[in-house]
Amino acid sequence: MSHSARAVEEPRLSTRQVRRRRVPRHVVGALPIALAGLIALLISGNTLRPFERIVTLEARMASKSDFFRDPEVQRLLLGHGIRVDIRRLGSRGIATQSLTGTDVVFPSGQPAAKIILDRQDRSVRSVRPFVTPLVLGTFRDYADTLVKAGVATPQRAPDGGPTLYYDLKMPAFMSLLDGTDGGRGTADQDGDGRPEGADTWNGIGFDTVRGRSNSGRVLVRTSNVCESNAAGTYLSLLAFVANGNTTPGTENVNDPRLAHDAVTDLAARIKPLISLQGMWADEQADSYLSDLGESIAPISLIYEHQYLAHQIAHHDRSGEQDTDRVLLYPTPYALTEPQLISLTDGGDRLVRLLQEDGELRDRAIELGFRVRFSGEDGTSERLNAYLGDHGIQAPAANPDQTKSYEPDLEVLERIITYVGTCPPPVQDTP
Amino acid sequence: MRRPTTALTAGLVLALLATLTSACTDGGDHVTLRVLASPELADVAPLLAELEEDTGVELELDYTATADLDGQPPAAGRKSAHDLAWLASDRSFLLRLQDSAGGLTRPESTSIMRSPVVVGLTPDAARDLRGRAPGGRISWADLADAAADGTVRFGMADPRRSDTGRAALVGVATAAAGTGSALREEDVSCDRLRGFRSGQTLTAPGSRELTDTYAERPETADALIAHEAELLSLNASGRLSAPLEIVHPEDGMVLSDFPLLLLDPGEREAYGKVVDWLLSADTQRELMRRTHRRPVNQDVEPSPELRTSVGNALSFPDRLAIVRQLVDDYGDPVHATGDQVVFLLDFSTSMRGERIAALRAAFAGLSGADRTSTGKFARFYRGERLTVVRFGGSVLEERTVTVRSDADLETLDRIVADGGFDDATAVWSALDRGYRIAADAVRAAPERPVAIVLMTDGENNTGLTYAEFLRRHGRLGSAADAVPTFTVQFGEADAAALKRAAAATGGRTVDAGLSSLTDAFKEIRGCH
Repeated sequence: MSHSARAVEEPRLSTRQVRRRRVPRHVVGALPIALAGLIALLISGNTLRPFERIVTLEARMASKSDFFRDPEVQRLLLGHGIRVDIRRLGSRGIATQSLTGTDVVFPSGQPAAKIILDRQDRSVRSVRPFVTPLVLGTFRDYADTLVKAGVATPQRAPDGGPTLYYDLKMPAFMSLLDGTDGGRGTADQDGDGRPEGADTWNGIGFDTVRGRSNSGRVLVRTSNVCESNAAGTYLSLLAFVANGNTTPGTENVNDPRLAHDAVTDLAARIKPLISLQGMWADEQADSYLSDLGESIAPISLIYEHQYLAHQIAHHDRSGEQDTDRVLLYPTPYALTEPQLISLTDGGDRLVRLLQEDGELRDRAIELGFRVRFSGEDGTSERLNAYLGDHGIQAPAANPDQTKSYEPDLEVLERIITYVGTCPPPVQDTP
Repeated sequence: MRRPTTALTAGLVLALLATLTSACTDGGDHVTLRVLASPELADVAPLLAELEEDTGVELELDYTATADLDGQPPAAGRKSAHDLAWLASDRSFLLRLQDSAGGLTRPESTSIMRSPVVVGLTPDAARDLRGRAPGGRISWADLADAAADGTVRFGMADPRRSDTGRAALVGVATAAAGTGSALREEDVSCDRLRGFRSGQTLTAPGSRELTDTYAERPETADALIAHEAELLSLNASGRLSAPLEIVHPEDGMVLSDFPLLLLDPGEREAYGKVVDWLLSADTQRELMRRTHRRPVNQDVEPSPELRTSVGNALSFPDRLAIVRQLVDDYGDPVHATGDQVVFLLDFSTSMRGERIAALRAAFAGLSGADRTSTGKFARFYRGERLTVVRFGGSVLEERTVTVRSDADLETLDRIVADGGFDDATAVWSALDRGYRIAADAVRAAPERPVAIVLMTDGENNTGLTYAEFLRRHGRLGSAADAVPTFTVQFGEADAAALKRAAAATGGRTVDAGLSSLTDAFKEIRGCH
């Protein structure tokens, strides 16, 4: 029997059976529950529409569930009669699994979005409300070690204080990810007179930055490349750089066999940069932002919005920035473009709302997204202004504006499948 | 006075009706979910009544989950007997799903708490280990070293059954490989943990039984390997005369995150309620207080004992086969047997000078003098049987010891250090002799693994030919079949011949010219 049903019967019976003059015990007992319910309704803003139909949409999304799980976004959506029930899984996971019973999906990037759109028989509504760059979340001592190793450069903080952002030279950084120093397993890379494990944190000088120690290798922790958009985008960034800042699959277009071999070679070259980390781990941002973040992984692959949302919340809570956690902005850079795709009429309503509703878009800025507004060139001005107003350093545009372009879907899929030994996608039976 | 009551009641009815109609969309039904749980999680049971009160979801915990969640997901078309799983870690399970080549969808999973797998040491053992650790910072290598020389005896849950035991094993093996990254196939092709294992005196199917057994018989061990949370709980129980000192090893730890998995996607709504409740600040605080695990909710301030750094997390292997190889090699912790290694050492005159000095250094290193991390794992250990055969044109000296003390190791070192030389080199006669010793050993104690190490710096110039050796080897029968020969090529040795002999017996060759004799011996320690 449900709690609410039980609670509602008791007072009704009590009106018939009251013999004594004082308030019956069960009424007194029910009072706090009723009041709590009433208060809850008042707070959640549902009082006015207890009888109005709220549509619950079944949604699948990955990190962009941060947006739909925000209480303010939920409140705004309820105002439009929409509740979003989220099944959280990786973007490529969403794209490669059955979507039966799903109203709306929100893959974190274009590759997964394209797979989903390709799978639809009918034309569907969709919206790309914001973009966010792929970044590497790390901690100050590790970032300073990378500066010392000559692969990162700090951005200047406007007030001369400790900076939150560093630019990372990807080609140089990638030479630290292969676990060898020119083929050797041990070397004195930091010149401290001790031969240490090649490409380990201590080996590149972490143990001399502030007297701490980490004998682990320099690795980027990612989520599963078979399932996650962030990991897939990171792979395309690695492939782009390893291919001499050229999008893979764009050479030898007239010789399919040669082009195919070139892509396989490239995938084989970048595979160790991912596989040396061992098992992937889900929810990179959660572990990075947790108390044990620095112990769990010195560098985690995350999205900029996740970091900025943390800084905004941190500043709201404590009045200052979290200066331990800092970001590495890769050069070349990779921008991700989440796409909300509707699969049903209910989903269409949500897509329309995100296209048109100013309040939802304003809220997205407050959650750290770079929001597109029609008629504006850039997507960063509003976000940077908001950060400035809230006492948070705004990331500077990298002077080197080389952008890593994702390869064609078919090429990217081959790279991902090769590196992750991924299972083939599940096809919906129509 | 009646009227206010009626009015109040009417008001309540309205308020409740509003709650009800609104709550309808959430579904306020009482739900019972069956949870396949790791035995480690029995300590959360007292909180479940409150969960049911607050959310209407009752959890029935069934503490039979194995390390890789056997039986999940159920065969196609069958419904799982469990709606949720709550594990110490879902890593092994996810790796198993990955191996199933995509036919299986992975369940939703949410981390609820965290705790690293660490070492609890008696005050005496802690003092001893700190004394021998560089900078006083104790590592897994130091523990392995102390286990091998018999100064520390430890307890650990059975890695074949317990996820905690498995996490501990992966942590120790990762430290032993010393690469700074996750274990690969080649890192586990040789078992580097035999010296470590020789110090294990206590085991149990799970870590709760382990801590219980230890509390009853603390004289059986000086160290326990378990989750920080389990060790803190044991200390807090007051059952020990002195609390164990908790050490977060310098070379890293495996972190468990106690995920709650949704096995039956139809129960997602109730799952969501349970997760929200478990992650709420109040529950996280209570979980921390009762179980000593670290909260995942940022708003909860860790208690003082949980503010210490956990150290660096070690990466977990990305293939289940690697984990299984480790677990198989480790075998049954209760019936551990030391190996026997037959060393066939070339004492022809060409070994004189620097080469013999290198050989002595290598033996001294394996006897405990090598203080590198890999040296501490690779060293000779208590219970290991070692045979040294010095040969030239014939066998010059032969000696077998079972290592019980440092004196036994000194005996071996003396044989290597003081032996005289001979003019000829009878490589295949020596190997033939080695196989006779090995075959006798296998017949005497079939459960004890035996391997041969053949080190030579020259070509065979007397005694048996290779073909004759092979014929004799073939006649030894099954007792010799399981004995691989690892050949160490040094100086002017006949590389091709050594490679052939190693391949014919299931061993392999290492070239000491590429590194050093010490590294070559270390490289083949524990190979099988």
